[in-house]
Amino acid sequence: MHIEIDELAKEFGTERALHPVSLAIPSGALIALLGPSGSGKTTLLRVLGGLEFPTSGRVLFDGQDATGLSVQERRAGFVFQHYALFKHMTVFENVAYGLRARKRRERPTEAEIGRRVNRLLDLIQLPDIGARYPNQLSGGQRQRVALARALAIEPRMLLLDEPFGALDAKVRKELRQGLREIHDRTGLTTVFVTHDQAEAMEIADLVVVMSMGRIEQVGKPAEIRAKPASDFVRKFTEA
Amino acid sequence: MSDITLIRAESVTTEPRLVRGVVIATVLALIAVLLFAPLIAVFAEALRQGWAASLEAFASADAQSAIRLTLIVAAIAVPLNAVFGIAAAWAITKFDFRGKAFLITLIDLPFSVSPVVAGLALVLLFGVNSSLGAWLVANDLKIVFAFPGIVLATMFVTFPFVARELIPVMIEQGRAEEEVALTLGASGWRVFFTVTLPNIRWALLYGVLLCNARAMGEFGAVAVISGKIRGETTTMPIMIEMFYNEYLSVAAFSLAALLALLALVTLTLKSALEWRHADLLAATRRH
Amino acid sequence: MRASILRSPSPLPGFGLSFGIMMAILSIVVLLPIGALLGRGLMIGPADLWDMVNSRRIWSALSLSFRAALIASLFNLAFGLILAWVLVRYRFWGRKLVDAAVDLPFALPTAVAGIALTALYAPNGVFGQVLAPLGIKVAYTELGIWMALIFIGLPFVVRTVQPVIEELEREVEEVSATLGARRAYTLRRVVLPTLAPAALTGFALALARSVGEYGSVIFIAGNIPNLTEIAPLLIVIRLEEYNYDAAAAIGIAMLLISFAMLLAINLVQIWSRRRIGLV
Ligand SMILES: Nc1ncnc2c1ncn2[C@@H]1O[C@H](COP(=O)(O)OP(=O)(O)OP(=O)(O)O)[C@@H](O)[C@H]1O
Ligand SMILES: [Mg+2]
Repeated sequence: MHIEIDELAKEFGTERALHPVSLAIPSGALIALLGPSGSGKTTLLRVLGGLEFPTSGRVLFDGQDATGLSVQERRAGFVFQHYALFKHMTVFENVAYGLRARKRRERPTEAEIGRRVNRLLDLIQLPDIGARYPNQLSGGQRQRVALARALAIEPRMLLLDEPFGALDAKVRKELRQGLREIHDRTGLTTVFVTHDQAEAMEIADLVVVMSMGRIEQVGKPAEIRAKPASDFVRKFTEA
Repeated sequence: MSDITLIRAESVTTEPRLVRGVVIATVLALIAVLLFAPLIAVFAEALRQGWAASLEAFASADAQSAIRLTLIVAAIAVPLNAVFGIAAAWAITKFDFRGKAFLITLIDLPFSVSPVVAGLALVLLFGVNSSLGAWLVANDLKIVFAFPGIVLATMFVTFPFVARELIPVMIEQGRAEEEVALTLGASGWRVFFTVTLPNIRWALLYGVLLCNARAMGEFGAVAVISGKIRGETTTMPIMIEMFYNEYLSVAAFSLAALLALLALVTLTLKSALEWRHADLLAATRRH
Repeated sequence: MRASILRSPSPLPGFGLSFGIMMAILSIVVLLPIGALLGRGLMIGPADLWDMVNSRRIWSALSLSFRAALIASLFNLAFGLILAWVLVRYRFWGRKLVDAAVDLPFALPTAVAGIALTALYAPNGVFGQVLAPLGIKVAYTELGIWMALIFIGLPFVVRTVQPVIEELEREVEEVSATLGARRAYTLRRVVLPTLAPAALTGFALALARSVGEYGSVIFIAGNIPNLTEIAPLLIVIRLEEYNYDAAAAIGIAMLLISFAMLLAINLVQIWSRRRIGLV
């Protein structure tokens, strides 16, 4: 799905988290929002996901105004840094949650839910953990389950907020590649937030560099490396 | 600039405005009926025949001796429970010993025992038809139907209050500060008074406050063990019952109003402690 | 003694003294009396105990005490959950006052609550007058006992659940919404199960407290044998007749049923806590 952000601004009281920003995300791309702490990455992602509503500006999905669309209607698969798994449910129930939450008419049968959940657990390469509870999983496993849960609703896009931020360096590297592979297989438009420039450069098709609520530069990793638009971008990406 | 398309500012983690409004209104109405109405009723009934009649209730010898007895009982039972609470918290949080969990259960036991059963148990232990009771009577030590029994009953029902406040706070604070003080050459008592006590003083005050409120208001256990000897073993709550049963409504409610005032003072102090020293009180509180 | 009880040595002093004070007071105030009660039961013997408890009046009193306590605690479970939620999540005028007032039943002596509720709900009372034309009698009926037990049990669930709500992760609720769940579904399937262990604890505490409650109930209950006579009152009556064995029998029955209940609830709780890893 093609996403267009048009002069989007967000204020929290007097605090300007986002100055009006505009950005076009091509269908099927894997995009990284890169920037230091407090630069507005999470805010932008949450506005896309419908968790936050902008002070002004519009969001368009495939050309249609989606600014006022409720979170439930957006069908954005959202993944949080700290997984936000449902502790009292098994992995299976976690992944099945979005399907079971549907209205009766749209809800798949239990057999169909079982098939889909198992297919997703295969996709994240954890086929045998359906019966476990989240507290019986490692951090990396939890994050993969969170991803499977987001994919279960057949989302129109995938939004990830520092998905690997809470993991150690080795697991991080593995999951990075895993995300790239899953993205390539599903073809979903994917936006992920990171403040790790190496992570962004390694797997993203397009990198969006943000600072203090503004977009500093948008471009392919190589372009940003070669032609930083400002001192800030150069400093932030050379480390 | 595109025009402002402010559709909704509501957070997704809250309920719709209408639902919130209805729920808040319902809750406030229920609180008014369930909590505030009884409180107001106490004062309204006390003042039914005016201030003079209400104040007159306190002039009677019965009322005065009841007030005196209640104060004395609390003045003995509460400090004893505080000493118990401090000792228990010190032993439980500073040392590892066998059967600790079981001991904590035993300390909590009085919360789940009916006050009447507590009174009954004390009567069975110290009453004339037990061997201990017979011996006590032979030696002229009266516990049942007498002052010591009332103190014991009051201690029983308020038993866990101080310990319950102190234990979580002292667990959270750990042992390091005390150990450092020891390495600096302080004596045990000095460590307690200069390191531990300052750290737990607000939690201690909090526990004592709750303990005191309950001690002055205890009815069931005292009713059983006091024998309700007028002017001798009648505490304020017992006196309220007597006045009430004698249809001396104004007198009963006037004494009750005095206790209700005490409750209000307790609540005010408690809230003040919670707002100002939240960090130094136990994280979870239940009584 | 020190060496045999302590698991590992501690550099801190005062174990003997603090342990000694604790055990002495605990024994005199709690353990010996409870022991005397249970010992009395042993002396009477199980068969005679059973005979003494097995009368219609006592069964009515026991079942009334437990039934009323259960009903009141269930009400307080539901209301306490909602109240705790409102106090933590909503902002409205008077919130702090309500928050402070929740503890009123802890602070107000039970006898005071008892006569106040009776004054309100008696046929000529403020609420009684309103309810009488509707054919609802509260004072001197079982309904009155419910009201008294609702009053004294009200703070328990609120105070156990409140800290858990404060620590709920918003993200878990948000993720539920992004997965398409409506708010009511999120509350039912995500929030409520997380609050359940704490709510159950509060419920158990309220239940234990209200089963044995005496002061607030006897004024409003009417105390008609077989109808509105609660078990603790029956103990008091037996004691006034100097029938210590009969009083002990009822006391032991209450003690045992309370313990069984607490044990059951504790087991349910351990099970649910272990499952979601909150131990
Ligand atoms: N709910 C909120 N209320 C008030 N201010 C907020 C809120 N959320 C974000 N902000 C502010 O908006 C600005 C941008 O925050 P945001 O969380 O989007 O940054 P970020 O780029 O995600 O940073 P980080 O890398 O630390 O997660 C910050 O100054 C932050 O303080
Ligand atoms: Mg962020």
